[in-house]
Amino acid sequence: MSAEQMLAPLAETLGPGALEHHDPVSVDGVSVRATLHPRDGRALAQMLAEMGRHGIAGLPRGGGTRLGIGNRPARADVLISTRKLRGVDTFEPAEGVCHAGAGTPLAELRDIVRAQRWELPFDVADAAATLGGALASAAVGPRTQGYGLPRDVVLGLEVVLATGERTRCGGRVVKNVTGYDLGKLYTGCFGTLGVIEGAWLRLRPAPERVALLEAPGAEIAPACEGGLEAARRSSVRACALLCDAGAALRCVVELAGDAASVERDVHWLSDRLRAVPAPADALLRVQRRQCGTQGPHELRFRLGVLPAQLSAATQQLAAEGARILAYPGLNLVYAHFALAEADDLEGAARAFRSAAAVASPGALLCEAAPEAVKRGRDVFSGDPALLPLMRALKQRFDPAAVLNPGRFAGGI
Amino acid sequence: MDGLVRELRNVVGEAGCLVRPEELAVYQCDGLTCHRADPVAVVFPRSRVEVQRVIRACRAAGTPFVPRGAGTGLSGGALAEGAVVIECSRMKRILEIDTANRTARVEPGIPNAEVSKAVAPHGLHYAPDPSSQLVCTIGGNVAENSGGPHTLKYGTTTNHVLALELVLPDGECVELGSPTGWASGYDLVGAVVGSEGTLGVVTAATVRLVPLPEGVETLLGIFPDVVSACRAVGGIIEAGMVPAALEIVDQRTIAAVEASVYAAGLPTDAGAVLLVELDGAAVALAAQVERVRAIAAGAGATAVEVARDEAERQRFWRARKGAFGAMGRLAPDLYVHDAVVPRSRLPEVLERICAIGDRYGLKLSNVFHAGDGNLHPNISFDRRDPDELRRVFAAGAEILELCVAAGGVITGEHGIGNEKRDFMRLVFGDDDLDAMHRLRDVFDPDHLCNPGKVLPTPRFCVEANPKARGYDRVGFE
Repeated sequence: MSAEQMLAPLAETLGPGALEHHDPVSVDGVSVRATLHPRDGRALAQMLAEMGRHGIAGLPRGGGTRLGIGNRPARADVLISTRKLRGVDTFEPAEGVCHAGAGTPLAELRDIVRAQRWELPFDVADAAATLGGALASAAVGPRTQGYGLPRDVVLGLEVVLATGERTRCGGRVVKNVTGYDLGKLYTGCFGTLGVIEGAWLRLRPAPERVALLEAPGAEIAPACEGGLEAARRSSVRACALLCDAGAALRCVVELAGDAASVERDVHWLSDRLRAVPAPADALLRVQRRQCGTQGPHELRFRLGVLPAQLSAATQQLAAEGARILAYPGLNLVYAHFALAEADDLEGAARAFRSAAAVASPGALLCEAAPEAVKRGRDVFSGDPALLPLMRALKQRFDPAAVLNPGRFAGGI
Repeated sequence: MDGLVRELRNVVGEAGCLVRPEELAVYQCDGLTCHRADPVAVVFPRSRVEVQRVIRACRAAGTPFVPRGAGTGLSGGALAEGAVVIECSRMKRILEIDTANRTARVEPGIPNAEVSKAVAPHGLHYAPDPSSQLVCTIGGNVAENSGGPHTLKYGTTTNHVLALELVLPDGECVELGSPTGWASGYDLVGAVVGSEGTLGVVTAATVRLVPLPEGVETLLGIFPDVVSACRAVGGIIEAGMVPAALEIVDQRTIAAVEASVYAAGLPTDAGAVLLVELDGAAVALAAQVERVRAIAAGAGATAVEVARDEAERQRFWRARKGAFGAMGRLAPDLYVHDAVVPRSRLPEVLERICAIGDRYGLKLSNVFHAGDGNLHPNISFDRRDPDELRRVFAAGAEILELCVAAGGVITGEHGIGNEKRDFMRLVFGDDDLDAMHRLRDVFDPDHLCNPGKVLPTPRFCVEANPKARGYDRVGFE
């Protein structure tokens, strides 16, 4: 049965405008030719229930900026756009909380809260990125050190389960242990358990002062040591170490907070790392580097690395030709490996081995790779002992494998 | 049951297994003394392997089991009716302190404060600090996602647990999370923290350590009423400050504290006191103190004192931390309630809570984490008086309804336990609860692990209003 035939009953049930046919969109080589556009949570719930009934598999899509992360889809009949679930319906400056629809662009949300001297604690630079996408994929950036992880920013979620129920978890208050913390499960689940409809967020007060500095290149060991020390200064909210193949390690640091603390740490960075004021877009370039690849034949890995191993890991990765971006305050390293060709499977296998050799156990994700490399491979490296639990969760939340089948850890 | 007890004794030894009624009486309740039930046995395993063997023995006998820390919980989460209590006090070792990576791996029975004490020489501490931190255990904290006065700035347990060793309800053991904080797959650590011991038994935890603050300043503001103290809290938050703690003690509590051994020298005619703790870079604190002082004065404070030394800081905190002990003078029992409302709704909600207490003729006072809207209405009562007990529960139910109607939730840090499971429907609908059941069923399909907690039963109960379920049916004496 063609995808069009498969989707026909869905189009009929959902009415005009809900289903858009378009040119093929490739997700790791799997072509998707249609997108569902639920106008609200109720429509989304109806869609998912119908999809389950008709055996249709869908890929939730926010701004599409992180659609490439994950395993190659086992099936993909349709994209599920959250674009229409857009808008900030509650913003309470007195509380420092807001609620927005999943399809709300982070940039829009950021502007709204900034006007009242609050900061949106998501460090995603791409203008197209949406709240739902950032939560579902647990997107981070250099400022995540100061902002906190997406899991810790969410107060409550509305989630439409794969089985079509509209559910809520958490709440709108900043402290809450009412029931199981399902928000933690949904955040970072890449839409495999449900589709986020909206979220309550805890905002952060805008800092009194911000300063951006950069330190000149240094050898890897002293640079890592300096970066770790810098990352642990009280006003540092972002600290990035950058190393291109064979070059020295540069450090970019953003400080934010009360004027006295920032001032003190600026002096410390000047003295200790010979840091100087950085161009205004220095951190933006870090963010772009984190999320981008150089050309179509590059692999991008995200590795969890403990501070004590940072220097050795960086040296090893650099020796094997990787471009490196490390966030010492987050225990995180991004390593980019260039392949000779898109189907250089041997080179890819070497890169996977190199990354796995230095990542902490279970803390490796290949975020970007050519389609040929992804075929038959699990880009997540988790503890196999946990797969039965995770598969059982998927089975209970998405028994018909409607959402993102095959794309998550262990082929879930 | 004899066969089970024999097997349990095989695992933990004769001395590690209590079965006599007089021994079990201690384990009839946790800190919520008005809910009681009899366990069939209490075991004290010494290792993860013993926990696994105990669980397998219970499963084979079809007997439920309940993990228990120090029993300081305040929601009946450790109630073990007809169940085996797995008491973790023999598993209290610090397995590793890794100062380079700022983590510690500990067994579940170690008291919270012991972790901070052990790492203090390295300039570090474990941030979550429940009021019972001298005795409450890390395992219990993980189960309850415990908070404390300083969670306004530092977060709750879930923000500080990186990895867990968990014995599943089928006896298998898994390692969840990663000391790096980055693990592939679903965030199972996030799901287990705060699950109130219903998803398995934690046998080791890797926790994050954070630096001791470079400087601390503690202020005590005296206010004519709670409303003006709350106004000061709002002003501090709106000024973009994130104090380590923002605590309010109301007039009724002040009176009780000042009449007790915890007396802190507070004016008994004050309507409320606000305790503000600021910590961070020493260079920044002086300016912050002045800002808080100005905000408090603007909100109506009649006096603002700044602690001159550690002794004075401790005196200020006595007003807050001694509150629960001081209540012992008022009545034999204390019901420490727990709910959360949006911060800006605190004044009106508090007024109505006091009115509820008065209407039921109860001794009700308030001590609360004002910075995060976490209320603790305390009701002093005598559980031997059935009528008073009925009024306590009725007032408690109204308070929860009030808080939910104000946009809040029914617990901020004590958990649902046995106490509030039937109030879950005030907050969540059937589909929301069904999603939670799905999680529970994956970990514990036979519902042997701390049954009857967190989720209301039976599933899809048609009684939307917990009042209809009757408060006189809870298991108090």
